[in-house]
Amino acid sequence: MDLLTISKWEFRKTRLSFSLKTRILSVIILILIGVTSFFVSQSGLHINDNIYKVVLTDPELAKVLRTDNKFDVFVTNKENAKDLFELKGFDILILDSRIFYHDSYSYDSEKSISALDALDKAIKKYDEARLLSYNDLNDTFPVWLNVKNIERVQAFQPVSLQTLPQFEKIQENTANAPIEKPAVEKAVEENTQLPSIKDFTELKKSSSLQEQTLATPSHFNPPIPFKSVVLSFIFIFPIYFIAQFFSSSIMEERVKRKGELLLVSPLSSYEIVLGKLLPYLVITLVMVAGMTFKLGGSPWIILILLPVSLMFLSTAFFGAIIARSFKELSFVLIFLSVFLSGYIFFPAMFANIHAISIISPITLVVKMLENEPVSMSEYLFSTTPFYLVSSLVFMFGIFIYREEDLFTQKSIKGKLLDSIQEFIARVPTPLFFLSIALLPLAFSIQLMLIVLMFNVPLRIGILVFIACAALIEEVVKSVGIYTVFSKKIATVSTANALKFGILSGAGFFVGEKVLLLVVIASIAGSVFGSVMGIGLLIFPLLLHISSTTVASLSMRYLGTRNYLSSIVLASIIHAAYNLYLVRGVIFG
Amino acid sequence: MANTFVIAKKEMNSLLNERTLILAIIVQLLIASFSSLLVIGLASFFDPSALSNYDEKTANVGVVGDGELRNFIEKSQVKVYYYQDLALALSDFNNNKIDGIVVIPGESSSGTGLIQIDIYLPKSDIRGTFVTLQLKKPLEDYEAFVRDIRSQRIGFEPVRLYVDSVTKKTSTYFEFIYGILIPLLVFTPVFISGGLIIDMFTEEFERKTMELLLVSPASFGEILNGKILTAVLIVPLQAFLWLALVSFNGVAINNIAIILLLVSIITIIVVVLGAIIAVKYKKRLISQYLYSLILILMFLAGYLFADSPFNLVTRLSAGAMGNEALAYCAAYAAFSIPLYVYLKRVKIS
Repeated sequence: MDLLTISKWEFRKTRLSFSLKTRILSVIILILIGVTSFFVSQSGLHINDNIYKVVLTDPELAKVLRTDNKFDVFVTNKENAKDLFELKGFDILILDSRIFYHDSYSYDSEKSISALDALDKAIKKYDEARLLSYNDLNDTFPVWLNVKNIERVQAFQPVSLQTLPQFEKIQENTANAPIEKPAVEKAVEENTQLPSIKDFTELKKSSSLQEQTLATPSHFNPPIPFKSVVLSFIFIFPIYFIAQFFSSSIMEERVKRKGELLLVSPLSSYEIVLGKLLPYLVITLVMVAGMTFKLGGSPWIILILLPVSLMFLSTAFFGAIIARSFKELSFVLIFLSVFLSGYIFFPAMFANIHAISIISPITLVVKMLENEPVSMSEYLFSTTPFYLVSSLVFMFGIFIYREEDLFTQKSIKGKLLDSIQEFIARVPTPLFFLSIALLPLAFSIQLMLIVLMFNVPLRIGILVFIACAALIEEVVKSVGIYTVFSKKIATVSTANALKFGILSGAGFFVGEKVLLLVVIASIAGSVFGSVMGIGLLIFPLLLHISSTTVASLSMRYLGTRNYLSSIVLASIIHAAYNLYLVRGVIFG
Repeated sequence: MANTFVIAKKEMNSLLNERTLILAIIVQLLIASFSSLLVIGLASFFDPSALSNYDEKTANVGVVGDGELRNFIEKSQVKVYYYQDLALALSDFNNNKIDGIVVIPGESSSGTGLIQIDIYLPKSDIRGTFVTLQLKKPLEDYEAFVRDIRSQRIGFEPVRLYVDSVTKKTSTYFEFIYGILIPLLVFTPVFISGGLIIDMFTEEFERKTMELLLVSPASFGEILNGKILTAVLIVPLQAFLWLALVSFNGVAINNIAIILLLVSIITIIVVVLGAIIAVKYKKRLISQYLYSLILILMFLAGYLFADSPFNLVTRLSAGAMGNEALAYCAAYAAFSIPLYVYLKRVKIS
């Protein structure tokens, strides 16, 4: 019996759960989903339908406004219209061609002002559609923009740029002028603000991911790859489902106690877990490959999504090990997948705007979908945290893949401590290496924080980031010491507290430097980079050691019950140092 | 009937003991903050005034060539540098002295050919975005200017409306908050409760505790009702919490009572549907899978038509609709009855 036998069993077990009836039912639902998305694509997303109420006197104008579903349009005579506007909550009143709205001094002004802007947009869109119907580009859309995005780091190449680009040879990322003359309706649809399902069902049909749009000033916007992000979501989709199957299967064994038999077999727990993982991983990759093939993406996408799949599967596995009930498992998994989805999709929206967006592998997928090159260093930068964190999560999960943790009602915290205790028991100089092992986790959370911080004013962002980053690092460094003291693995003495503090702090320092050297080059220049400790070497070492020793000593004297205050104390020291480092940016 | 409450109380206690509800609320908070960060982040790219937080006030743009467009760019916020030819401009561009180049062609507004403007921007650089935002206005003004001259040739008359004093503000935030954020916040607990009822039932089946429950004085119908009651009741509570939180942040929410009523009715539909799946299939793996598929279907269907629950919540909260929504509530409530009747008929065997 070996690893592959386990895989075979696992595969058969999950497959058998799907009776013929279930399969037919899921096919029916999938067809219904397809039909519904087709209809949604035909009629657009009805999100803000009838949100604004407009009352007017001109029936011709009413026809114009009715082209936009946002408006609930009411036609009546002048007197009635005024009454409705004043008393009945209408947002906009149009008498002949004069617009009235509730300005900032009145109740409901917020909605009315926004209705005014929506009205402006609707009329622009209507005019644009009419202009298109003239089939005379030179007189209707006389100004065209050819946007060329140039990589600045690359060497200047006068040959290719000195010849002024001709209309016929527009570069890849230049929006094309439409050669065909689209019909009015089509143009209106194409200009809808929110991308409808239509956009990506259309994408499926055409191999090219670019659509022909108007390259006029009103369409001159920052490049937000909304469509590619939505498309990459389709790639990720099977991963959610399969991770759910994986966790359900593990949990079912725990609940029904079927797993006990495997545990007494001669196989080690890591062989059992990897054996169980294998079929799910293979199916995920096959499905991703199928999607890539179908949607016409590059095969490299599979390689980019491998660490993402591992991440989802590892967290699903860990969730299934630590949860006490189905409900808890559901919530843990929802929580983790929301967090992970945020981590991977949020930065991807900014793929063309800021270099930091490559912390997410999805950004690389988006780039590939937009036919842009992806370099090896970008791959390493965005996927290394995923590889490291998922292996780590598997490792800690496998530590507690044993009878006393699988088949008892231990709390989540208890199980987490168990897995750390296992680590301490199995690894030489455990506290030194525990800091290193947990580092990718801290690193990933910190990267996530950076992304979130880009949305608040820079100074506040840095302050919040410094505080949170310090807290995360201090938790990572001291959690081992907490385990040792609270589980009485070593005697609680001042000497031990000092020793552990130094080991743990030094371990974190070494890990950080190695990891940063490998992956962080591209953000090292930014302020956030210096907060994460790329700078002088001796001071960060002293900092890590001293702050952790403070936490360790405070646990020694205050007891492990006051862990929280120990951590806060250490974080304050840590944050103060980092604050000093970036003082120039904040106060200068 | 009394047994229904006993079961409901038991389920509620287990929810509170496991602190799962707290985790659910954190999940919803994460969803909310992600989506609002995303939209506010994106919206700020389309609304230059929102970028005023940034220290850079003007973009440095190189202009090559001479033409009408020059006047429009000079009048705008950008700082203009003039170049004799593109090569010089590009070398300054590559040395980070300027962040964008506009090449003005010879064609003028009175001519007949297309006016093609070349714009060079730095790739994957926030400064490119900044230049884009600042150039948009003068370019649009220029387009309007040329179009005014040229569209007369084909007899085009634009829709002209007038407004006395304009308070210009983008509608993006308003439409996002009422169109996406509020429905999302209000309906996430609904979808979570649907999953919750599946866990409640499948756990009893897989741990074989359902048999024990069935020999207790509670009938299967009472067990059903008790569990459904718990899963349904927690939803309006969470929805209320979110609405209160949102209005605390200064977003006016209208018709809270009707929204809660509508949400409760939709919850009953979703939870009963979850219960049907769980009782029919009994295994968590299959039940959750089918439920997720149906959830996607319902989600898509929710965007398919006006007057869907999502759209009703949007209009109710924005105040575009009032008591007339009660008719829709009644229609959705009527929809839940056959589902419940069907659930009662499912054999547990």
